[in-house]
Amino acid sequence: MAKTSQRLLDPHFVSKLARLDLRARLVVDGFLTGLHKSPYHGFSVEFAEHRQYMPGDPLRHLDWKVLAKSDRKYLKQYEEETNLRATLLIDTSASMSYSSHGLTKLDYARQLAASLAYLMLRQKDAVGMYAFANGRGELIPPRSTPSHLRQLLVLLERLEAAGGTDFASSLHALAERVKQRGLIVILSDLLDDTERIASAIHHFRHRKHEVLVFHVLDPQETTFQFEREATYIDLESGDRVTTRPQELRVDYRSRVKGWMDKIREFCVEKQADYVAVSTDTPYDRALLEYLSKRARLL
Amino acid sequence: MFSFLNPGFLWALPLAGIPILIHFLSKRRLPEIRFPTVMFLRALEPREIRRLRLREILLLILRTLAILLLVCAFARPSVQPKAAAARAAAAVAVVIDDSESMGAMDEQGRPRIEGARERGLAIVDAARGGDEIAITTTTGPDAPLANRSGDRVRLTRTVRQIGATWLPGNVEQALERARRFLGRSSLRAHEVYVISDFQATNFTKGAREKVALLSRAGARVVLLPVVSSRVPNHAIEDLDPALRPGPQGKGLEMRARLVNHADAPSERLSVRARLGDALIGGGDVTLQADESRWASLPIDWRAGAGAAAEIKGKAPVVVESDVDALAGDDRRFAVLGAPRRLRVLRIVESRAGEPASRFTALALDPAQDGSGGYVVETGTPASLLGLGRSRYDVVLLEDIASLSSDAEGRLRSFLREGGGLVIGLGPHADLDYYGHKLFPGVVDLALEGTERASEGQAFEIRARAPAHPILEGLSLAVGSPLTQSRLTAVSKGRITSSRAEAIVTTTGGLPVVVAAQQVSIFLGSFSDDWGDLPYSGAFVPLVRGLVDHAARAASLESGDLSLVGRPPTAHLDTAPPGAVVVRGPESYRSQATVASDGSGFRAVADAPAPVPGFYVFEAGGREAAVAAVNPDPIESDLRPVSMESLQAGSPDPPRSILTVRSLRTHLRDMRQGRELWLLFLVLAAVALAGELALASARTVAP
Repeated sequence: MAKTSQRLLDPHFVSKLARLDLRARLVVDGFLTGLHKSPYHGFSVEFAEHRQYMPGDPLRHLDWKVLAKSDRKYLKQYEEETNLRATLLIDTSASMSYSSHGLTKLDYARQLAASLAYLMLRQKDAVGMYAFANGRGELIPPRSTPSHLRQLLVLLERLEAAGGTDFASSLHALAERVKQRGLIVILSDLLDDTERIASAIHHFRHRKHEVLVFHVLDPQETTFQFEREATYIDLESGDRVTTRPQELRVDYRSRVKGWMDKIREFCVEKQADYVAVSTDTPYDRALLEYLSKRARLL
Repeated sequence: MFSFLNPGFLWALPLAGIPILIHFLSKRRLPEIRFPTVMFLRALEPREIRRLRLREILLLILRTLAILLLVCAFARPSVQPKAAAARAAAAVAVVIDDSESMGAMDEQGRPRIEGARERGLAIVDAARGGDEIAITTTTGPDAPLANRSGDRVRLTRTVRQIGATWLPGNVEQALERARRFLGRSSLRAHEVYVISDFQATNFTKGAREKVALLSRAGARVVLLPVVSSRVPNHAIEDLDPALRPGPQGKGLEMRARLVNHADAPSERLSVRARLGDALIGGGDVTLQADESRWASLPIDWRAGAGAAAEIKGKAPVVVESDVDALAGDDRRFAVLGAPRRLRVLRIVESRAGEPASRFTALALDPAQDGSGGYVVETGTPASLLGLGRSRYDVVLLEDIASLSSDAEGRLRSFLREGGGLVIGLGPHADLDYYGHKLFPGVVDLALEGTERASEGQAFEIRARAPAHPILEGLSLAVGSPLTQSRLTAVSKGRITSSRAEAIVTTTGGLPVVVAAQQVSIFLGSFSDDWGDLPYSGAFVPLVRGLVDHAARAASLESGDLSLVGRPPTAHLDTAPPGAVVVRGPESYRSQATVASDGSGFRAVADAPAPVPGFYVFEAGGREAAVAAVNPDPIESDLRPVSMESLQAGSPDPPRSILTVRSLRTHLRDMRQGRELWLLFLVLAAVALAGELALASARTVAP
């Protein structure tokens, strides 16, 4: 386990993150106190006010002392300092297995997810994980216990890239399952129909989730620096295209850039954060850039 | 038909498969790269990939094509107009014009015969192994000079040895030789190449018909004109060997007939007469376009001979003019004798006690001393009984009713001996006698009565053949009036054969002056019975012309005029003491045959004269006579016949090829086909250039 943690969590990287606080921008449901203001009057540690009992309120929140003294039924309300409920969504479709320099996109996403999980747990935030592919996914609900990290890391270790993405179906299914508002962190190459991706993100936003998209791509996917003519096989669909990279490179790059711009635009439109990372981008730089930007936004 | 002259190179054609092989090998060995998605590549496919694939195919085609074309170029592709003509051996007759005119120089001083040889060699060079080739010339013997293509060396040597001769060309005979050669050949493909300057005078109707005949017989006739554009073209066509008294009987003059064949007036021509190296006379002459006339050249005989006594002998004189394209006709040889006085027996009849008119006597010998070149003796028809060639040169019958049979017989005998006859018809002439008795055998002229002009009217007479010697004393053009005098009647004559020619006619076409061999006929009256002609200025030159023609015709008949290609002929006054040997230029030497003629002996060499010049007849080791030999003046007129006239009347008209280069191309097309290697090479270069341009147009991004 320790070995797994060491592999997944670069200590040097984690030490850098420790100097920054990851603060959720939005108020989410949570049980644990933290740095975030909750919009709900829950039943946490810090008393806020009383209110008159209404039929149907749970009796366990009755202030028995007030009832004994005044024979009036009041409920105790607390202004709780809630923690972030974050769910890390990891794309395990076959396309994530691509690597042009040793580190697959899935590896990169896996390590980035572990880093985020560690960071969030240090902040007492609840962290869940959802590994999805082919319209299905495996969900670990968010928890904030330190031991939860192990469970997450075990899942991350098990992940294997296979099957198609069916991004939208997976995310729509998750959106229905995650009731409490929180942070949705998507780590994917987003190789799906952009309209469907936008629809899924919109679904999360509709349920008041904060959405953070890490668009994980291999450098070759953006630069298409292949030299000689070759047959290119789609990792997911198996489609084959034989072509000369040097002939298509300019148009290819232009088209990929247009695609990324389109995703970025609808993320902005849906008030989701979009960070394009390449598998050769250091984790710390990617996270620090993101966290710095979050810090400026808060 | 398309073929390759070096088909061995076609083994390299599979090389064209190299680009295709490389293409498919590279396709087969393409690396497979697993990639996250090909949707972007797919998205590009309709627009880009299809274009790239098309370009790839184009590149492949261009590369393959370039190699194909290159290999084909080395294999020397050629197209042949007709498969049969290209494959089958051909019987080829080459007619090379080697007549005198082929010695004419162009502006660069290159004789036409050189161009002819060049063309002949091109034809020989292009011959294939199975071809049969015959070479014949227009002046050559009655057999090809060389045939069979097996001995190409001999053919080449034969062509190289052909030079311009001094002879007139006989194209018709040469074409007949070609026709016979082709007829004997067993080969089916026949070709005839005619290399000539296509002189109109040589390409007679018969020659043109031969060309059409060859064409119709299936031979491919190709005309190869060798012409130059040098315009000046004059010639000394003839010399009168008889010296004449000069104007007013002073001094001497000789006459040279000059002709300008050009379509523009000549420059001022300097004509010189030489006796040996000494200049003895000459003058300047300017000729109009297409003009031919006699020019009188004053002669100072003493300048050459040193003594007037020399005049009595025979003197070889060379007359030269400025040299033009054809130098051979700008010099002419003549043996001049003592000033000749034509002896004319004038036969008249006195009627009703009135003396006969003397107009002709006055016209010929006004001073009655022979100083005008004519000695006129007047007699009656009975005088003809004593007629002899030794006494008279010409008999002039002037309005004689008829002749007795004895007189007529004597007259015919006189004509046979070379004498001349001038007949002036008139109101008293018995036309029936002349038409039916005297004229048959003398002149082909029928008489049909007398034609009289309307009351108060007169016939207008015009020159029909103004260049004829009869009219040489008159400067006339075709159709110009002979005289302004009135002619009220003429005997109505009709020429019945081409041996007689109407020289002067009325405007209505009735002949007035008719010329035939040794005979001149005047169908008007020499007196003033039928008008006032004797009082006109045209009368004297006309009468002298009639007499001169009759006398000259006699001279021609006697063989004094020698041409190149014919045996030299000379007149000997006395019988030679032994065998006569003839010596001439270029080591010419021949025996001569001597026979008596009416006025002495006629010596004819056994061998033809090969070149112009003086040929000396020696008898008993001494010079007996000299003959001047000249080229036939027919070669002087260099004007070509129109190609259209040669191409007419043939289903497959003869092709005319102007340049040697075009001829070589034609021969290559005929023998080997049109070579296309250069075209293939250019196309290969174009294909390669296209490939390079297409390949360099790639959109390579860093």
